[in-house]
Amino acid sequence: MTLVREGGEKGDGGEERRETTVEAEPGESVVEAAAQADEHVPFGCLTGACGTCTAELLDGEVRYRRPPRALKARHIESGYVLACVAVPETDCRLRVGASVQAELVENPWK
Amino acid sequence: MSDAENPDDAHAGHDHTGHDHEGPGYATPQAAIEESEPEELAYVMCLYVGTDVEAPDFLGVVDLDPDSDTYAEVVNRVEMPNMGDELHHFGWNACSSSCHVGGLERRHLVIPGQRSSRLHVVDTKDRQNPEITQVIEPEEVFEYDLSAPHTVHCIPDGQILISMLGDADGELPGGFLQLDESDFSISGRWDPPGEIEMNYDYWYQPRRNVMISSEWAAPQTYYPGFDLDDVEAGKYGRQLHVWDWEAGTVEQTLDLGEEGMIPLEVRFLHSPDHAHGYVGAALSSNVFHFQETERGPGERVGHFEAEKVIDIEPREHEDWDMPVPGLVTDLLVSMDDRYLFFSNWLHGDVRMYDISDPSNPRLADQLWAGGNFGPSHPIEGEREVIAGPQMLQLSLDGERLYWTTSLFSSWDNQFYPEEAEQGSVMLKADVDPRRGTMELDQDFLVDFGEMPHGPARAHEIRWPDGDCTSDVWQ
Repeated sequence: MTLVREGGEKGDGGEERRETTVEAEPGESVVEAAAQADEHVPFGCLTGACGTCTAELLDGEVRYRRPPRALKARHIESGYVLACVAVPETDCRLRVGASVQAELVENPWK
Repeated sequence: MSDAENPDDAHAGHDHTGHDHEGPGYATPQAAIEESEPEELAYVMCLYVGTDVEAPDFLGVVDLDPDSDTYAEVVNRVEMPNMGDELHHFGWNACSSSCHVGGLERRHLVIPGQRSSRLHVVDTKDRQNPEITQVIEPEEVFEYDLSAPHTVHCIPDGQILISMLGDADGELPGGFLQLDESDFSISGRWDPPGEIEMNYDYWYQPRRNVMISSEWAAPQTYYPGFDLDDVEAGKYGRQLHVWDWEAGTVEQTLDLGEEGMIPLEVRFLHSPDHAHGYVGAALSSNVFHFQETERGPGERVGHFEAEKVIDIEPREHEDWDMPVPGLVTDLLVSMDDRYLFFSNWLHGDVRMYDISDPSNPRLADQLWAGGNFGPSHPIEGEREVIAGPQMLQLSLDGERLYWTTSLFSSWDNQFYPEEAEQGSVMLKADVDPRRGTMELDQDFLVDFGEMPHGPARAHEIRWPDGDCTSDVWQ
């Protein structure tokens, strides 16, 4: 699977993207496979309840070990997945990092 | 690893006529004021959850000795063994509630991971260099169908009680987990399942045989962040639960209504005889006073009523579509039961109320730092302060009020995204409890933005010898 991270600004003002490819063993979650490869993906509860590990699935398919309770229907429709309980079924590209979780909920009054 | 050499000596009666009590803490709240020395260091929960910093959360040791060369600096960090815990609240193995238990010491901190459901036991025998001595892994906690540990209080009989906000899946109901102080093993579930649905903070007042617990939401609701749809769907709490303390059962539930949305911290007055207390309704930005109003003959628990006593008006802000609510996220009562302090995290002020007439609080003073309306540089020449005052802690003598600025990683990211990039601060006000005034200490700012692994958030604060939110008297 490929992990895509955003961060930093390129010289032309655009956002920089860094991609790393990681081998996932069958049955491993995205968080586990990333950890095996010393690639950090943020996580919290590891049970699908908290959303700290939220990623955007850009390509490929995942199955869930446990229901992704932290995601609302609108998040799932928009392509967000929970990396702690998502197991890649095909070669996947995922956008990861703390900023992805922060996209799910905005300040509702601002 | 027991902190009690002679646990059988417990409960020798409650006679304070002699000067000494053998156990930890202080004989009375007034004894805590008289006997305590000014705090020389603070333990602070520090965290990296909700950022890209690849490091575990840590217990920060902050130097509070004004004569020290490292005053107002983080002088030690005790890193947790895992990442992703979200350290939040924590508590002691023993406090003044065990003041007659000979041999027992206030020595071990129980530090839960709010997201991980992992429980850490930290030995503070060497105050400057605490050590993790034991870890209860999440799987052991989930066996009791509980998760999301929050408030830790030691309770009589060598037990430790932890409020748990969800079941093993992060759904409802929550409950309470009990640890055995002698070896920090899980004793079991304290409450019969089904007494409550939502849970958050609690405080017990044993002489009235009462405990009051509050409500946040299911972990799966509040963990990812604050969503107004969840409020409209009734997924956030607005009730207080009045428990029979000895029986561990709910005897009365108080609905605080629309004005009492998300009641968080619960604080009884410290005097063990008092049946008054306060709770801050965070979302509604109100403070409620609760009290025992009657108790029939033979009744184990009195009848309680709660009434809104402080209403924080939302304020217009040019960058906001809606007036900004204050968001009362923490409150505490001074050890002499004279003042109530609370924070308006979104506005950016901390307030001090005279509560000598408990049901009619009177605003004594107010101080602004950070937030949406306070100065972003409350101390000239020092770093920017992003979020408003949040977790409070007060010296036992009532003369120094400290606070940190992080609420909860995902909620910080919504309301103060810069808190993750710049880290939290800890600030201090000098309090004059005779004049009822506060003044920001211009020489005190702890910068959690300058940590070795990167900027950290900072949450609950405690002193090694007990503080204004740790101890209960029997």
